[in-house]
Amino acid sequence: MARLIRTEKEVEGRYEEVWLVVEEDSLDQWPAGPLEVVGRDAVRADGRERATGQAVYTADLAKPGMLHTAVLRSPHPRARVASIDLAPALAMPGVHAAIGPGDIEQLTADCSFQGEAVAAVCADTPAHARAALRAIACEFEVLEPLLDPDEAVRRGSLLGEPRERSRGDYERGLAEADVVVEAEFRTQVVLHNSMETHQAVVEWIGEGVEVHISTQYIWGIRDAVAERLGLPADKVRVVCHYMGGGFGSKNGPDDYTFIAAELARRTHRPVKCALTRREENIVAGNRNATIQRLTVGARSDGTLTALGGEFVNAVGWDGWSSGTEGPMQMLYACPNVKTTTYGAKLNLPPMKAFRAPGFVEGTFGLEALLDELAAKLDLDPLELRRRNHTDDAPEGNAYSGKNLLECYRRAEPHWERRHEVRARSTETVKRGVGMASQIWYGGGGPPSYAWIRVGSDGRATVVTAMQDIGTGTRTAMAQIAAEELGIPLEHVTVTLGDSDRGPYATLSAGSSTTPSVGPAVRAAAADAREQIEEIAEQRGLKGASVAEIVDVLEDAQILGKGARGPNPTGMQVLTFGVQVAEVAVDIETGEVWVDRIAAVHDVGRVINPLGASSQIEGGIIQGIGHTLSEERLHDPATGRLLTTTLDAYKLPTIADVPEIVSELIDEPDLHLTNLGAKGLGEPPIIPTAAAIANAIRDATGANVRQLPISREEMLRALREAEARQKEKVGAPAGV
Amino acid sequence: MELRRAFDTTIDGLPVHGGTEVVPLLRAGLLQADTLVDIRGVVPREIGSGRIGAGATLAQLECDPGIPDVLREACRLAASPQLRNMGSLAGNLLQSTRCWYWRLNWPCRLHGGDECFARDGEHREHAIFANDFCASAHPSDVAAALLALDATLRTTTRELALADLYRVPTEDDRRTTTLEAGEVILEVTFDDCERSVYLKAMERKRWAFPLVGVAAIRREGETRVALAGVAPIPWLLEGDLDSASPLPRNAYKVDVARALVKRARATIGA
Repeated sequence: MARLIRTEKEVEGRYEEVWLVVEEDSLDQWPAGPLEVVGRDAVRADGRERATGQAVYTADLAKPGMLHTAVLRSPHPRARVASIDLAPALAMPGVHAAIGPGDIEQLTADCSFQGEAVAAVCADTPAHARAALRAIACEFEVLEPLLDPDEAVRRGSLLGEPRERSRGDYERGLAEADVVVEAEFRTQVVLHNSMETHQAVVEWIGEGVEVHISTQYIWGIRDAVAERLGLPADKVRVVCHYMGGGFGSKNGPDDYTFIAAELARRTHRPVKCALTRREENIVAGNRNATIQRLTVGARSDGTLTALGGEFVNAVGWDGWSSGTEGPMQMLYACPNVKTTTYGAKLNLPPMKAFRAPGFVEGTFGLEALLDELAAKLDLDPLELRRRNHTDDAPEGNAYSGKNLLECYRRAEPHWERRHEVRARSTETVKRGVGMASQIWYGGGGPPSYAWIRVGSDGRATVVTAMQDIGTGTRTAMAQIAAEELGIPLEHVTVTLGDSDRGPYATLSAGSSTTPSVGPAVRAAAADAREQIEEIAEQRGLKGASVAEIVDVLEDAQILGKGARGPNPTGMQVLTFGVQVAEVAVDIETGEVWVDRIAAVHDVGRVINPLGASSQIEGGIIQGIGHTLSEERLHDPATGRLLTTTLDAYKLPTIADVPEIVSELIDEPDLHLTNLGAKGLGEPPIIPTAAAIANAIRDATGANVRQLPISREEMLRALREAEARQKEKVGAPAGV
Repeated sequence: MELRRAFDTTIDGLPVHGGTEVVPLLRAGLLQADTLVDIRGVVPREIGSGRIGAGATLAQLECDPGIPDVLREACRLAASPQLRNMGSLAGNLLQSTRCWYWRLNWPCRLHGGDECFARDGEHREHAIFANDFCASAHPSDVAAALLALDATLRTTTRELALADLYRVPTEDDRRTTTLEAGEVILEVTFDDCERSVYLKAMERKRWAFPLVGVAAIRREGETRVALAGVAPIPWLLEGDLDSASPLPRNAYKVDVARALVKRARATIGA
């Protein structure tokens, strides 16, 4: 039965209160462990289409008569358009329309970050559009940009109010500590750099509009487009069958969708607006830089008495101040915690969600700080974490399920390798092992719906208007339906990615697709299964296979529907894990090799172990880039970006990828939905940087405090460790 | 743009061989050309003893056991397999700097302007030698290897020492090479050496330009060491690293170079 509830909804660590119509989740969970289909390896349902080039991405789409767009973007972080003349562009060959500041809200003459859109032209080919763009006469008056995050905080240039979070008595906790460690950590700006750049193809059809877009949220695009264009939402159709990466950066419509829509309206043609790789490196969003000034106080046995931090998120011109303080607030039992988080508003391109925003950065700071504490107390880092483990959520609401201790236990064999690893050090190449814990959301939530139809051939089609951002959720949904119906996996097809063809489903962000849509798919399949069982009873075929039962149906079909039930009341649904990294450091050249990373994560029931290991590998590889080589740079004087191509912005290559060992606890969360499954998209990237930094400390004694751990940072930390060592040796006894 | 197959290199146009450097520069608007002249048919590409056709690809060279280790390793550690399959030896020597200011077409000194933006700006990947006028770093691993080998080039008009192909840019002349318009490198020759090595520090394990590349060879009791990525041109190291003049954010390169030079010398028994 449907009922209306007021509940907290969490996306990417941000909570909001919403009214929801939810349906009861009346199915009992399946028993734990691998079943017939669920819990067993399944190759991607669409792997063949993707590998053979048959999968049509937005980037592949070429509608008849389609025009291409080029966008004039501000080359300056802060500038005013003094004059602009579109006429020369309109006179260029192949050009159909040009729009400028004020023609739509997304084009402006007041530019507050590099890449902000000023004008756009559409033409027969991308080359014609680019040539026309160069013909636009545009004069900028360059203004002084605000670039320094601390300066922004001082001046009060903030996005949102500073966030103060406190429990217990922090000052008293510090006073009770035997040891206090303070450190400042800095993390850099990194880019999503999705393989398929951000883009949309928009066509006006009848009274409505059709939007093909590379997106993580077709329903969000539908509503945003409808609102901006003044259309009823059902006159907007949004389609995304395949997409080439998003990582949090494709949750919204951005400027390109509205530029394409306006140009399509003016030209009566379908219009594609696709970011170039350079634009992708400038305006497609980013994981913002952070400054973290952290303090930990502990008793000599390692019991934490106080944790405190001042966090500055260098958000950029827009976005939000993400929960960088989250790990410090949530990971340990510490009774006294006080954090303040600022979101600095700067003349830099806006941040966007990027795979566990805030928690990746905050975990680097917190977990590196914890290991500095462990070194000071001469405690085993794993033991330090165990001593501060809690099964009672320090912030209130109980955990719906938590197996972090089990993760620690499973990590032991990897952790034990450190003696052998260290022993392989040479005079110049030092080896070590480090670990870090992970906490994050990932429970998903309502609403999400699915339909299912079963034909007389015993085959089933799941219809849900979700999108698969490349994580393999399409395959997971098929597994869930096959399991519930008791039919082979190959007999299930999943139709998704079209707002006109299927019911609402969640955005693919916050590790939420599988835990949100999965239970709805199971409910729909159960609905169909119950009907099939009734038919079986009438035909005297109880116990027969689905194919045998539905065999007589001819054109008749069994239709099932299902909805995602509510989240458990008064509980926090979280994911946990631990990673153990093995590194080698060349102490003369500052080169760092990551040799091996073992990951143990607790995300409830695992639907597809093969897909899950792929997610873990992807997260760790992206984490290695974040830790060692990736950094978006800007010129310190002007704020103009310097790394706009893939030779300058250094993603990891396959040669940078270590041995990765992935393990999952695979215990259903007994309080969560009919599946007990949580999401895994984000958790694997969270502890990677800290585990590597801690392994470096284990190998060399050096405290790296900054990402990426470039040769410069590595050599600086080594020199600092050397000086510290000398001071210690030189200090008089007893001091 | 018209692509013509050239049998006469005097055709007015921009010569292109593998295209791995020319095409990105054209796309970035840093080179302009109405005509591209495909010179693959006329530039020699044979690999002989101490004699290499300028059109040989890096992929050919990295696999050839007949050429000195220093050159083979410099090729192997350059770029990616795809790029090495296309990129030619001479094209690699004529690469432009990766200085981001130059690549983004800032009006810097190399572009004829009156400021080196890197010196006061973001210069972590930049030059630690000969950097007062322009702090750009030369990106060619192969050039450092051939400089260490003291190679000679034959072009369509002359023979010259590889060292003379390069020049540090000055106020009066901003070019980094002495190649004349229309002049094409045809062949590279060098004497054999007893031992040689190329060591490279980069920001990831593969497919990155050198932060520091060290080429060292041992020939008749003499050692020659040349560096990549440390000066606006390939840099012959005379003396030690103390003569370097790093900028505030690239002093680490001196430490890296010092360590690699020490190792390179040890490897070749210098």
